[in-house]
Amino acid sequence: MAVSRLEASGGEVQNAKDTFYELLRSRIAAGNPERTIVVRGQTRPGVLVEENELVTTATLPDCFRLRWTAAGVDTANALPLVALGCEILYETAGSAGNGGMDRGRALAAMDAELTAAINASPQFAAKQNYAGLASGGGVVAMNTNVWWGNVVFGAAVVKSDRVARTATVTVMSYEEAGEL
Amino acid sequence: MGDLLLCGDAVVRSADALLRANGGRAALLRMPAPAVAGNDAEQLGLTAPQFQDAELSPVLFQRAESATTLLVSASAVMAVVGSLKFNSAEVLFETAAGVVIDEVLYAIVSSVASVWDGEPYSYCLTLRAPDR
Repeated sequence: MAVSRLEASGGEVQNAKDTFYELLRSRIAAGNPERTIVVRGQTRPGVLVEENELVTTATLPDCFRLRWTAAGVDTANALPLVALGCEILYETAGSAGNGGMDRGRALAAMDAELTAAINASPQFAAKQNYAGLASGGGVVAMNTNVWWGNVVFGAAVVKSDRVARTATVTVMSYEEAGEL
Repeated sequence: MGDLLLCGDAVVRSADALLRANGGRAALLRMPAPAVAGNDAEQLGLTAPQFQDAELSPVLFQRAESATTLLVSASAVMAVVGSLKFNSAEVLFETAAGVVIDEVLYAIVSSVASVWDGEPYSYCLTLRAPDR
């Protein structure tokens, strides 16, 4: 099996990354509409991709931050199979009204939201090409799917007054002609 | 010894005078424009926000191996907070994309206010230089 490594920040696998983000964001928003963040004055669902934002939003609490890590390509198939590592980082200080004493419960609630969003069926979605949005165009549906495994939770970590966790999920897709 | 009675405003003016006397200069606070509601292109990194630079003066810039800091006049900060309609200096610094000094954009790591009688007279920003 011919497997090579890709830089996750490159544009080759961007459609799969964008599709997964859009789907996760909509599922998190549907599961808990109150899970929101304010980024540069606008309220939006509490999911962001770190590499798409200003570095100043990197440590926002009470939201899910996607960080794309390793990428591997299996070129043995008719269509190259890409596997992307996605870390989902989140942290919370609990609520001020409770003096932060509910931060463990707040983290557990985020665990549950993430589990519901990622492990729910179907664990696939039609891959979309969002590049047209940059020039005012529309989203183009592609011919293949993006699919992913179950979420795997890391240990909770204490960060000053916050508790944090990193979950991981592997996202896969076939790269269509012109994507690689 | 007579009682030392300084109101907050006098301390702010004194801090400004000290900053100027010690080589105070200007720096630019780079602010991103507000996000566009529901704009997927921004959230996907396809389009970047517009930026505007607000001048902070007087400031003292110190770059050492251990830390890079910027001491900023509170009066300059408050002027920017007011003109850009922010709730506080802390939110202003958290929102900023960084500080431009000698055409180099430094990220703001943290900000600490020095306060007299409940009123800040200067802010110390810890900066991070861009990776080269």
